[in-house]
Amino acid sequence: MPSPEAEIVNHIRRFRFEHGEMTQDNLAKQAGVTRHTIMALEAGKYFPSLLLAFRIARVFGAPVEQVFEYHARESD
Amino acid sequence: MSDSEKWAWWTLGVVALTIAAYGAFGAFLGHGPATFSVFALLALTSVPASSRRYFKGRRSDEREQQISSKALRAGFSAFWLAFCGFIMAIYFTKGWNATLTVPVWALMETLFWATTLIWGVEALTTIVLYRGGPHA
Repeated sequence: MPSPEAEIVNHIRRFRFEHGEMTQDNLAKQAGVTRHTIMALEAGKYFPSLLLAFRIARVFGAPVEQVFEYHARESD
Repeated sequence: MSDSEKWAWWTLGVVALTIAAYGAFGAFLGHGPATFSVFALLALTSVPASSRRYFKGRRSDEREQQISSKALRAGFSAFWLAFCGFIMAIYFTKGWNATLTVPVWALMETLFWATTLIWGVEALTTIVLYRGGPHA
């Protein structure tokens, strides 16, 4: 089973910027998580559940695959 | 710093204080009810739970829950290892058919040490997981 660490990237920071420099706190409140979780997500240190990924994408009004990208490795 | 991390630092402080007080009381007063009474300090671990924020019904998110469950598992794993080690030590030192006469205070103290161990490891694991690793 491939490790997800190197393969899932997110564009939360860019989407926040495109949404009028939405603060991490604001996004966290709308997604129902703490600001620390948003910080960890942006730093690529934490990978969200499907539910949270969809909730974040919904806040930005974008499809989940635009906010989160899966990069398949050669071995997959 | 998140609430869970604050709780972990607080608990670690209480555990350290309890161990230090036990050592100090034991050194100066010997083993007795006074030394045993330091375990009352463990009640301080409940102080963060009595904060206003807790009673406001603040819920933790999925990342915090993952860290919390991993930390709890680490605490009980440490307890299980210590328990097995303790039983094995008794077996090797006293033998299979030995009968032990244990005073009640020793049983109670063992219970408090087990609680101290579980909370200590749980708090330490929480801090480690917040500072590094896949959940940082």
